[in-house]
Formats: sequence, structure tokens, C-alpha cells
Amino acid sequence: MRVAREKKGQFIVIAALLLSIMIISVSTVIYGTVTYYRQERWEEYVTIVDSIKTASYNLLQVGLANYAQTLNSTVLRDYFNLWVRDVRKAYPGFGADLSCSLVSGVRSAYGVNINYSLGLARTWSQPVSFSASNATVSLDLASVGLTGYSFSSHVFLKMNMRDAVWFSKSSKRYVLIYLSVNREGPEVVVNLGKSNFPDVKLSGVSQAFSVKRYYSSTYNCFIYEVRVDSISALPSSAEVTLSDTRGIKAVSYTTSIQQDSR
Amino acid sequence: MTEARKAGNQRSLKGQMRVIEAVMASLIVVSAVAFLYLFAATPSSQSQETSELEKIGHNVLHDMDEQRLLTRFVYNSEWTNLTSALFVSLPTNVYFNLSIYDVNGRAISHPLMQYGNNQVFVSSKAVASVAYIVPGYQTSYSPRVMVLKLVRG
Repeated sequence: MRVAREKKGQFIVIAALLLSIMIISVSTVIYGTVTYYRQERWEEYVTIVDSIKTASYNLLQVGLANYAQTLNSTVLRDYFNLWVRDVRKAYPGFGADLSCSLVSGVRSAYGVNINYSLGLARTWSQPVSFSASNATVSLDLASVGLTGYSFSSHVFLKMNMRDAVWFSKSSKRYVLIYLSVNREGPEVVVNLGKSNFPDVKLSGVSQAFSVKRYYSSTYNCFIYEVRVDSISALPSSAEVTLSDTRGIKAVSYTTSIQQDSR
Repeated sequence: MTEARKAGNQRSLKGQMRVIEAVMASLIVVSAVAFLYLFAATPSSQSQETSELEKIGHNVLHDMDEQRLLTRFVYNSEWTNLTSALFVSLPTNVYFNLSIYDVNGRAISHPLMQYGNNQVFVSSKAVASVAYIVPGYQTSYSPRVMVLKLVRG
């Protein structure tokens, strides 16, 4: 009887010891995990790298928007030259040194061939029109021994004129133009309104129009439907100009307008 | 009678042993927890505080930039909207002061964009400062450097 009781007591003590070891082990692991990043100092250079990265992408957007509106093909190079100089000024104590390589040549992306020159490209006056910019940026921060931190950024806007149809049999003859718009990512652009389509031309003449957006099961994507009323004859061409919320432009054009006798 | 007394004594001893075992087990567990507390080193609070505020400030500006709100507010001089956006984005116990400069360090004229009185910034031991640069807006290159100062109330 006595032997059995002593064995039972030992078991409880051993169980308590094992439990303690488990508590200490698990707590150590959890504590280490929770406090790992707390012990890592949030160095200011991390925010600088992040800030320069975002700003360089924004600069690509600004440069492309300018190019799309002025057709100045050297604007991106000029902007990046200024940007390299100004980053040094903005972060004087960090030894920030930026270098940019603007993409040139043909690249395939988003289902189209993009022919870059000085980081800029555009193909307009086609059913599928687009504007694009692309650059690789390399950053050195001498103060923290960071060298050769490279990142590529690109900006892209594509408008696809899916169909243009002249409805001739209804009481009001009208034209419907079906457009889909995509940007880099690839992302579908769904936040455009009438003001983002500054010009709609039929047979080369600007027209009053209305725009609505919906999901089309026919095209299996979001569609912008541009409607032009009171069109008495089949137009020879349709042209739509798009300027997105970033100010980047694309111009789609087609001469194949279908006639619908509904 | 003697046999019955012996049996009673044995039960009593058994109960005492149970109590001793429980006390020993509790002591072991408590000493393990005490050991953990003894060696738990917490990071120094002041540098930690500044670091946390820097993180918060940078994240708020970065998020606003990603949503293209920051450039719109700055280049269209929507100062009230910018102040309100910072106010709702930052935690309620964090006070801020925002100044805007060009890349040469010249201050851009704008009304005071601040939450909290000046005394809070003067008396606080930990003031975090975040610099954030935006290159331009729409088609124009015109960089602006935003300096956001943060203190916890």
C-alpha cells in the first residue's frame, strides 16, 4: 500500500515538472515571436526606401500623363533627371543616390506588344489602344550601407473598343460603342464617368453622348456603353478618347461599325 | 477498535500526503511562471514609442498616397481635407503637426495643420518625425516634402 502511494506522489511531482518545462518552453517561443519585430528598430531608412519607391511609381504616372497630352517623348527622361537630383536634396543626410534606366524596345504584356522609347509607349487610333511607361530604378543609401536596391515600375492603360453598332430600325436611330478599360496589374478600371471620355467622334465629328457601365455577360467583363443618339446614317468611323483619373490618355478608333436592324 | 484506529490513521496520512503533493506541484508551477516574469526583458519605452509613431505616421501618409488622396489635397490646396483625413486616420490619442516644403527646404505657405496644442509638442518626451515626398500631380513635376510630427497624448 505504502509503495503504491509513494509512486502516485512521484507521478504528480513529475507531471508538475513537465508542465513547468512546457510552460517555460512555449512562453519563450511565443515571447520571442511577439517581440522579434519590436526589438528590430524601425529604421528611418525603411520609410525612405518605401517613400522613394512609391514616389518613383507616381512619377511614371505623371510622366505618362504628360506624354499622353503633350506627346513630348523625352518628358520621362527629363522628369527622372530632376527626380534623381531632388531625391539627394530631399534626404541630405542619408547619402541617397538614385539611378534610373528607362526601358526601350518591344515588350509583350497584357496581351499587346508595347514598343517603348525612353520608357514611354503608346498605340492609339486602333480598336485596342494603350499608353504605357516603364522604368527600373536603383537606389543607394550610403548612410546605412544599402547599395543596388533595384525595383521596376510600370504604368499601363488600355482601352478596348469591343464593338460599335448602329441601330437603324428603332424610332430613334443611335450608335452604341462598347468599351472595356484595363490598367496595370492587370486591373479592370470601373471608376470612370462621362467626364473621363472627353471626346466621342463618329465619322470624324464630335458628338453628344451618354455613358453607362455594367457587367456584360456577352463580353464577360465590365463594359462602358457609350450611346450617341440621332444618327441617321451608318457612320464611317468611331473614335473614343479616354482620360483616366490619373490623366493618362488612350484613343480607340475603328472603321468597322456593324448595323443592327432591331 | 485498534484495527479501526490504524485504518483511520492511514487515511489521515494519505490525505496529508495529497496536500503536500499538491503544494509541491503548485510551487513548481508558480516558480516556473515567476522565472519567466523575472527574465522578461521589455524594450526601452521611449525609443519604442518614437518608432511606433514613425511607423503609424508613415503608414497613414503612404495609404493616403496609394489612394491618390495625398497628392490631390496637397496640389489642390485642400488643407482642411488633408487635416481631416489625418485626424480620422491617426489614433485618437496621437497629436500631429504637418508642414510642407519644396525640395530646397523652403516652406510652402499653408494654414496651420495641427491637432493638439503647441504645449503637447513642447512637453512631450517622444516626438516622432516622418518625412514623405511626392513628386508631382497629374502632368506636372513639382516635388513636395511633407514633414509630419507626431506625439502621443
